[in-house]
Amino acid sequence: MVKEIIVEPITRLEGHGGLRIVIGDDGKVKDAQFNVTSTRFFEKFCEGRYCEHVPRITTRICGICPIPHHLTPTKAVEDAWNVQIPTPALKLRKLLINAKQYSSHLLHFYALAAPDFLVGPFADPALRNIVYVINKMPDVGAMALKMMDFGQKLCAEIGGKSVHPISAIVGGMKKPMDEDVRQKFLKQIPEQVEFTKKTVEIGLKVVEDYWDVIANVGVVPTYYLGMTNNGVHDIYEGDIRIVDLEGKKIDYDVHNYLDALGEHVPAHSYATHMYYKPAGYPDGIYRANCLARINCVDKMATPLADEALKAMRAKIGTDLIHHTFAYHWARLIETVEAIEIVGSLLGDSDICNPDCKTLDIEPREAEGIAITEAPRGLLLYHIWSDADGICKKLNLLVATNHNIAGIEKSLMHVAKQIFEDNALEGLKLPDPWIK
Amino acid sequence: MTVKVAFMQLSSCWGCHQSLLNAHLGLLQVLPALDIVYWPAVVDFKHDSLVAREDEEIVVGFIEGMIRTKEDLANTKLIRKKSKIIIAFGSCACYGNVPGLANQWPIDEVQMRKFMEVESATTKRIPDQHVPGFEDKVVNVDDVIKVDAFLAGCPPRTEQIVGVVQFLLGQKGFPMNEKSFCEDCVLKESGCLLDNGVLCYGPVTSIGCSLKCTNKGDPCVGCMGPAKNASDKAQKLLDMTKSLDYISSGNKKNLFEFLSLFLNVPLMAGFDLSGDIMMQIKKRGKPDTPLATIPSITTEIATNLLGFLAMHPEFHEISNVCQTCPRIIGKGTMTKVKRDYEGIPNQEDCFIEQGYICVGPITKAGCGGLCIKVNAPCTGCYGQTEWVIDQATRFYKTIKESFNVELSKEEFFIQVKDPIGTFNKFTLASNRDFNLGE
Repeated sequence: MVKEIIVEPITRLEGHGGLRIVIGDDGKVKDAQFNVTSTRFFEKFCEGRYCEHVPRITTRICGICPIPHHLTPTKAVEDAWNVQIPTPALKLRKLLINAKQYSSHLLHFYALAAPDFLVGPFADPALRNIVYVINKMPDVGAMALKMMDFGQKLCAEIGGKSVHPISAIVGGMKKPMDEDVRQKFLKQIPEQVEFTKKTVEIGLKVVEDYWDVIANVGVVPTYYLGMTNNGVHDIYEGDIRIVDLEGKKIDYDVHNYLDALGEHVPAHSYATHMYYKPAGYPDGIYRANCLARINCVDKMATPLADEALKAMRAKIGTDLIHHTFAYHWARLIETVEAIEIVGSLLGDSDICNPDCKTLDIEPREAEGIAITEAPRGLLLYHIWSDADGICKKLNLLVATNHNIAGIEKSLMHVAKQIFEDNALEGLKLPDPWIK
Repeated sequence: MTVKVAFMQLSSCWGCHQSLLNAHLGLLQVLPALDIVYWPAVVDFKHDSLVAREDEEIVVGFIEGMIRTKEDLANTKLIRKKSKIIIAFGSCACYGNVPGLANQWPIDEVQMRKFMEVESATTKRIPDQHVPGFEDKVVNVDDVIKVDAFLAGCPPRTEQIVGVVQFLLGQKGFPMNEKSFCEDCVLKESGCLLDNGVLCYGPVTSIGCSLKCTNKGDPCVGCMGPAKNASDKAQKLLDMTKSLDYISSGNKKNLFEFLSLFLNVPLMAGFDLSGDIMMQIKKRGKPDTPLATIPSITTEIATNLLGFLAMHPEFHEISNVCQTCPRIIGKGTMTKVKRDYEGIPNQEDCFIEQGYICVGPITKAGCGGLCIKVNAPCTGCYGQTEWVIDQATRFYKTIKESFNVELSKEEFFIQVKDPIGTFNKFTLASNRDFNLGE
C-alpha cells in the first residue's frame, strides 16, 4: 500500500506551498516534494514599465524582504545605464538593507522558528506560535518585539515605508537622513547590541539543548550559493560564489551568472529549482540563505560576528557546515553583523549629506545585472532596457528558487531518517522551555 | 471574551501580515482578545481544520492576496462560507494589486515567459502535478464573493489594521458611559443643532467630554465613542440620516469625522465598509463583539451613514492623497512630463507642478502620505477615488483643472509612455471592463 503524507499548507512560512512524502509498500520513501502552489509572474508584467519604476513594483514580491527587492533592480538599472551613485547614497542603502536583515532575521528566529524549540516540536499546534511564546515568556517576547520594532522603524525612516519602501531611485536615494533622526536611532544602539547578545545566548542554549538533533538530523551535503565581497561577508555588493561538495570556492562575476546558475522547471512546483550548472541537475543542487553565505565567506565583515563565526566552525568542527538545523545559528551570527554595521553607519554623518543622488543619468538600450543578498538568499535581477528606458524584459532569480531544490533534498533525507531508520526514536530532545 | 478570527492567504507577498506584526508591542494588547483559528503565516492550523469548521463559525475572516490560481478561488469561497464578516485586507484583495498588470496578456503567454523562455531555464515545462493551475486573469475577490469591508493599502498602515481589529473587538478604549452627550449639552434646552438641520451625533455619543464642540456652537462628532443608551434626540438624528441626499458640505465633513472617530477606525478613508456591516454584526447569530451591545438605534444610524458612504463614491473625493499632502500648490508649472530619475524634486512644492507624475489627486487617502515624505511621488496603492475605465484621461483632466499644467492632452499622452503602469498599477484587475489589447 503506497502511503502519502501531505502537509497543507506549510505554516509559518512566507509563501504558499505544501509538502508531499510518498512511502512505498516496502516502507521506503519514494518521493519528497515541496509543492509551491502560487506564482504571480513579475517576470512578465514588468515588461513595458519604466525601468526606474520596476523597483517600486518588485518590492511586492516579498513583504518580509521588500528592501532587497527594491535595491537590486535599482542597481540593475544603474548597471544597464552605467550610472554611478554618490557615496552617501551607497551608505544609506547599506544601512537600509542591514536594518532589514536585522528585523527579518529576528522575525524568523522569534516568530517563525523559536516556537518549535521553545514550546517543543510535538506541542499542540494551537500553542506552537509566537503569540503563545509572548504570553508565556513576556520578557523575552517584549525584547524580541523591541528589536524587530527598531529594525522596522529604521527601515521605515530610510525607506519611507518598512514594507514596500520607495526611497531608492536610479542614481541614488531620494532623500538623505535627517540629523535628528540619525541621533535618535544612534542612541538606541547600545541597548540593541545588548538585546542581540541576549538573543545569541538564547540561541546557544537552544543549540546545546538540541545538539543531538542538529548533529544528526538533516545533515545534507549540497553545494552552496552566496555573495561575497572579495571573500568577505556582504549583503549589498559583491560577486557570486559557489562552494562545492569538497569545500572548493568558485567565484563568478555577476554578469556571467548564466555560466553558473541553471533553472530546472519541475512538474510539481511553480517555484523553479536552481542548481549549479557545471554539475548538472540534480547533482548540482545547492542551498542559499544564511548558512550558505556563512559557508561561502572567508570571514564576516565585523569583529563580533567574525568571532561568532569562528566559534561556530570550531564547535561543529568544520568550515563547511551541512547541518540544516545550523541555519538558525548562522542566522544569529548574521544578526550580530547586521547590528554592528547599522551601529557604525548610524555613527557616520555622511548619511545626512544631501549629495545623495546624481543628475548624470541617461537611459540607453542595454542589459543590466545586479545581485544582493536577501535574508533568505541571493537575489538576482537581469533587466533589458530599451533606448527610452522602458523595461523590455526581466529575469529574476529569487531566494525561493535557490532554496527549493535544496529543501526537497533535505526533506528526502529527513523523511528517510524518520520513516526508514526510525531516527526519531533514539533522539535526545530537551524538556520544552515552555510547558 | 475572545473573538474568532481567521486570515486567508491567497497569492500574495506577506506584507500585510508584516504590517500587522509591525504593531510590535501594540500586539500585546490586541492578540489576547483574538482566537485565531487559521493564519498560516503565523500559526500551525492546517487547511483541513478550516474545512471542518461550521459555516459562519468565524466572526471575522480577513482575506489577504489576490485570486491568481484555482486554489485561490476555492479558498476565497471557503473563507466566505465559514465567516460572518469578510474583510478584504490590503490592496491585493481589494483591487488585485500589481500582479493584475498581467491581465494585459493571455495567460498562456504569461506562463511561457516564466516557465519556458527565461534565460536561465534549462528544463522547460509548464508545471502540472500537484499544483492548482491558474485563472485566465487575476480575478477580483469582490467579483466572486460578497465583501463586507475593504481595507486598502499596500500594505495598509499598521495603525489602520490595529484600528480595524479594535473596531471589530468593539470600541476598545472607549468609556461606553451609560448616558449620552446630550445630557450635559449646553444646547439641551434651546438651540439644539439637530433642530436646525445640523447633523450632531450627541444623542448616540458617550457623555464625559469637556463639551468643547457644542460650547463653540459646533456639532458633536462622536469622539467619545458610543453611549450605552441613546438620548431622546436619537430619533431625530435617525430620521435625518434616512435622507442624506441633499446633505450640505458642512454636514458631509461632520459625517466623515463621526465615522472615523465613533467607529474608532483611524483614517477611515482607507477602510470602506459596505453599508450594512453594522446590521450584519447585529443580525448574524450572536457575534462575540461588544459592537452588538450598543443600542439598536445607534446601529441603525451608523448603518445609514455607512450606506450613504458606500453609495456615493464622489463623497470619498473629499479625501484624496493631496488633502493629506503638505506640499505647496501654485508655485511651479508642469510644462513637460518628467521621469522619476530626472533631477531631484524639491521637498516643498507639489510634484505635479515640478513636472513629475504623482497620482495623489486620483488616489484615496489613508496612507498618511508616506511616499511623499521621502520625496517619492504617489503611485496609487490605496486605490482610485473614482471608478472609471480610463484613469489616464481622468488624471489629465484633474490636474488640468486643479494644478498649473501647460501641456495639451496630446502632448501629455505622447510623453507618458506607460499609461497602464502609471495609472492602473494597483487596480487593473478590478477594472472589469479592461480587455486584452486595449
